[in-house]
Amino acid sequence: MKQSAGDRTLLFIIYALLALMAFFSFYPFWNAAVISFNNGTDTMRGGITFWPRSFTLENYAVVFEDSRLINGFVISVLRTVIGTLLSIGATAIFAYGMSKSELIGRKGYMVFCIITMYFSGGLIPTFLLIRSLDLFNSFWVMVIPGLISVWNMIIFRTFFKGIPAGLEESAKIDGCSNWGVLFRIVLPLSGPVIATLSLFTAVYHWNDWFTPSIYISNADLLPIQTKLQQILNSNIMSEQMAQMDSAAQGRMGRMKAVTTKSLSMATMMVATIPILCVYPFLQKYFVKGVLVGSLKE
Amino acid sequence: MMKNGKKVFGFGSALLALTLAMTGCTGGGGSSTVSGEAKGGEGSTAEAAGNAYVLGEQPLEFSFYGHYDWYTMPNWGEDKASEWIKANKKVNVVPISSGGNAKQKLSTMIVSGELPDVIWTERGADVESLRKAGALVPFDDYLDKYPNLKKWAGQETIDMLRSEDGKLYQFPNWYTTQPNGNAGYLVNKKIYNDLGAPSLETTDDLYDYLVQVKAKYPDVVPLEVGQSAGGVDIMTSAFAENRPYQYSSLSMKAIPSGDALTSVFTDEVFRETLVYANRLYREKLISQDAFTQPLEQVEQKIITGKAAVYVASSPTEFGAIGNSILSEEDPEAGYIMVWPVHKEGLDKNKIFPGTYNQLGWNVSVITKSAKDPEAVFAFLDWLTGPEGQRISMWGPEGLYWDGVDEEEAPKFTDAFTSDTKGRDELMNSTVNLQWVGNTVYVDNSKMKFESTLPEDKKSWETKWQSEITWKTQYDTTEFVNLNPAGDTNEGIIEQSVGEIYEKAKAQAILNAGSEEEVLAILDQAEKDAQQVGYAQLLEYKTQKWKENLEKLGR
Amino acid sequence: MQNTTHRVTIEKSKAKPSLFKRFGRQWDLQLMVLPPLLFIFVFSYIPMYGVLMAFQDYSLFEGFAGSPWVGFKHFEMFFGAPEFWTVIRNTVVISLLKLLIGFPAPIILALLLNEVRNRVFKKVVQTISYLPHFLSWVIVSGFVMSMLSTENGSVNMLLQNLNLIKEPINFLSLPEYFWTILVTTGVWKEIGFASIVYLAAIAGVDPHMHEAAAMDGAGKLRQIFSITLPAILPVIIVFLILAIGNLLSAGFEDILLLGSNPVLRDVGDVLDTYVYRTGIQNNRYSYATAAGLFKSLLGVLLLVGANYAARKSGNSLW
Repeated sequence: MKQSAGDRTLLFIIYALLALMAFFSFYPFWNAAVISFNNGTDTMRGGITFWPRSFTLENYAVVFEDSRLINGFVISVLRTVIGTLLSIGATAIFAYGMSKSELIGRKGYMVFCIITMYFSGGLIPTFLLIRSLDLFNSFWVMVIPGLISVWNMIIFRTFFKGIPAGLEESAKIDGCSNWGVLFRIVLPLSGPVIATLSLFTAVYHWNDWFTPSIYISNADLLPIQTKLQQILNSNIMSEQMAQMDSAAQGRMGRMKAVTTKSLSMATMMVATIPILCVYPFLQKYFVKGVLVGSLKE
Repeated sequence: MMKNGKKVFGFGSALLALTLAMTGCTGGGGSSTVSGEAKGGEGSTAEAAGNAYVLGEQPLEFSFYGHYDWYTMPNWGEDKASEWIKANKKVNVVPISSGGNAKQKLSTMIVSGELPDVIWTERGADVESLRKAGALVPFDDYLDKYPNLKKWAGQETIDMLRSEDGKLYQFPNWYTTQPNGNAGYLVNKKIYNDLGAPSLETTDDLYDYLVQVKAKYPDVVPLEVGQSAGGVDIMTSAFAENRPYQYSSLSMKAIPSGDALTSVFTDEVFRETLVYANRLYREKLISQDAFTQPLEQVEQKIITGKAAVYVASSPTEFGAIGNSILSEEDPEAGYIMVWPVHKEGLDKNKIFPGTYNQLGWNVSVITKSAKDPEAVFAFLDWLTGPEGQRISMWGPEGLYWDGVDEEEAPKFTDAFTSDTKGRDELMNSTVNLQWVGNTVYVDNSKMKFESTLPEDKKSWETKWQSEITWKTQYDTTEFVNLNPAGDTNEGIIEQSVGEIYEKAKAQAILNAGSEEEVLAILDQAEKDAQQVGYAQLLEYKTQKWKENLEKLGR
Repeated sequence: MQNTTHRVTIEKSKAKPSLFKRFGRQWDLQLMVLPPLLFIFVFSYIPMYGVLMAFQDYSLFEGFAGSPWVGFKHFEMFFGAPEFWTVIRNTVVISLLKLLIGFPAPIILALLLNEVRNRVFKKVVQTISYLPHFLSWVIVSGFVMSMLSTENGSVNMLLQNLNLIKEPINFLSLPEYFWTILVTTGVWKEIGFASIVYLAAIAGVDPHMHEAAAMDGAGKLRQIFSITLPAILPVIIVFLILAIGNLLSAGFEDILLLGSNPVLRDVGDVLDTYVYRTGIQNNRYSYATAAGLFKSLLGVLLLVGANYAARKSGNSLW
């Protein structure tokens, strides 16, 4: 393919910009990793940038020896896998139905859903509901309430609407039911959007520390992100510190100081890297031109 | 996805009626469950009434909740101290995690009526609202049955801890009857000696010193004041005698004048301090990042010796680490502390950069969810006593201490000074279990031991504590509990005045170009504060102060 | 006789099938949507009575049944608060800035990435670009603060080395820089992750169309504008509508952490941070609920407005 000089310059600029952006996006992460491999006391001196100054694996040793963190890791994985599969499955089906223009009540249903994106009763009524449904302090409280995502439904629906009607009609003529069209035609063609939304949902589940912090008391069921949140919070100056006398501030500071920055970073690495690996894995579904050749003109 | 705080308008009256009917079963259940459990609790203590609970005979298990975003209770039994307690006293503590979100967590626990057995939290509004709802167990019946709290805290402290109904619900942590605390001025030894060790007694001395530092060491921060310029607060102590920094801090904002509490913005000492601080800031003698730096940036500077003077409420944390790191490389380097700086003409023995109060830091309360509240109290009482403190601070007998002397202070072993790594590891693993610290016992034991050590083995921290800081901390017990609950009228005023205060203080230090501007900012702040009801707030605080004085018999 | 009646009946049902019957005929389609709708009802609508908190002096211990009703008291307090207009202004300005810059950015990134031929480079950049999304704001704000620090902060050092400034600038203490810092870090953090959706959309564009356009002499830029963009327009519009509906959520954690300096409060305080500070921190649940209700109502109005405007392009939500 011939490229004009203008096109080549443009391409060069594009490559340069992207490389620059990649560098800035990567550095904080790299730095966090470097700190996690650095000795905690040495990290306090600051000045660690591209390479550990006092290399050590002890932070990771502490993380992996902490049974609660490992446990939390397993819970996170379970929740993410199960939660994503169920949610994407249910929402995709929902969205397909909503994308059919012949669906009676379509507009009303849509309004019904969108209202929930803006209005909510708040934490306390939701909490009471969860308790009355006996979901409190169980693994399923992390999976079930978020099962249907209106946001994802809207995106799915937009994509489904973009699939040529001709494809679906020819399938129907061949005797396919609506469910059949969904599973045999539409879903196989929706690789990119399924991959994208699965990624988003998985990331949501993996990163959600708030829900378990409220609804789960059993320390064995807490995912690793909730534990990480507590560790990270020790680095923030809390509101309360301003309220105390200096002796009390000293006591509180002493308690908070136990977790070094290196340990926090190591925990963060363990808590974050797994989910990062999901995207490269899904990238193969972002294949171009999936629709090419499927429609015979 | 659940986001708190997004609101509703309602979908239809039929829907509303249906949901209201449902809430009848769930929402109303909140308070009734609490009182329902109360009966259960009282029933089981009936059997213990009369004879004291003996810790260790029966297994005891209870749940513990630390009401802080950052607090994680370690797993019980995984460190040497709790392991020993579990084996020898048959006590098991089940952690309830705040999940990084203490406020919401507690609110859901209250609403569901399922409170943890023990809640460890700040004194004040939260405790009061729990008590008013009848959720807490009073300790009055237990005080005489168990020796330690009564003995070590003293009658005055216990009376100050009592709630409005006259009963005691709060078990204090790090309560004390003698001064403690680390606030003061940390000085970089090398730089100090290098500049000829000039006198650092008055505020003018300090100013001159900082100018010298800046001229000779451009890479060093002359005066480090910590996050949110906290050190400036501490320095108000320099401008008046017997002046705890508390008065003009965010938490109090009320200056005693005669028998009433008055405005902070019109207070001469506060104004003078800010003028001084502003001058230091303008001349770049104070860290320019005073209001924006994260804690680790402060830590870095101290540890690497990049600060000449550090004033803070607890500079000894970083100071100790910095001292050991710097002196390792260069025996002449390190940190020392100096006697608190004061304004020319004031008596240096009446200058108090730090504060402490008899009630300590925070409290534990026992809720009616506890199956055997007296047993829990007995455990806490044991934990705050000499044996419990020894074990939770320094581990079980035989490791770093062996046997006790006639005052029940532990006899530290050689390992205590030789195996510092192991000792520190143990102390770090148990620090989060210190819920009912006994300051007097711990500090006295420490000091006693230190005095037997040769100079080079003495701990840097305790040296300065005994020489300077413990002598310069002010007792502010009469000023506890002055703050109104957040959801009352006074609470709303407190919030508004607090915001005006924070902004004025930051602007006065950062933005003011001259002394007049500083004062102008403060005058404007006074006007704004009066408009939102500052006078009413001060009246409330004065009232509370007078009540405290009565309790203390002063 | 029977024949005619029969025919008439058939004609009748052809002309006007009852709603019930039509509904019955698409029962399989309805089956796809009704269970999820029920689910939404249970988990989102049933708890909605929580909004009533805004009209009570809600107390955790009394619950909804026991707390007193106070009508519009909290709304009045909210609207009458001296900071109200500042907070609203900040919310709108910050949100618009974030929208203006943060909305096109991921689209542009997706378009740029799409032009890259080298598959390894593309995959690597794609993966790296979305890393910042996973860093919590606690960590990111720590980074930003140290970069902008006056004591050896990289930005100040760079500017000084380039002789652009003499003395370090105290970025995080000067209100005029705050919005820029906020928007820049926000965009940087989310650009990669947000671009994924657009990449997926672009993946659906027929490459033959590009080839055809190239053969007709269209340069890259032209191709992007005439082929790729129109093809992903439906996705863009949907997201734009949703973003406009979300205008009153201008940020929370980022502002709380980066804007902790009190001098920044006048430009940094937005609805969510204001409600957090004055409402939730002080246990003023009813007040917080009232403010939040106000926010939701405005949000819905904005959403409806945006959707209406989008109808003309045929890509509205309803």
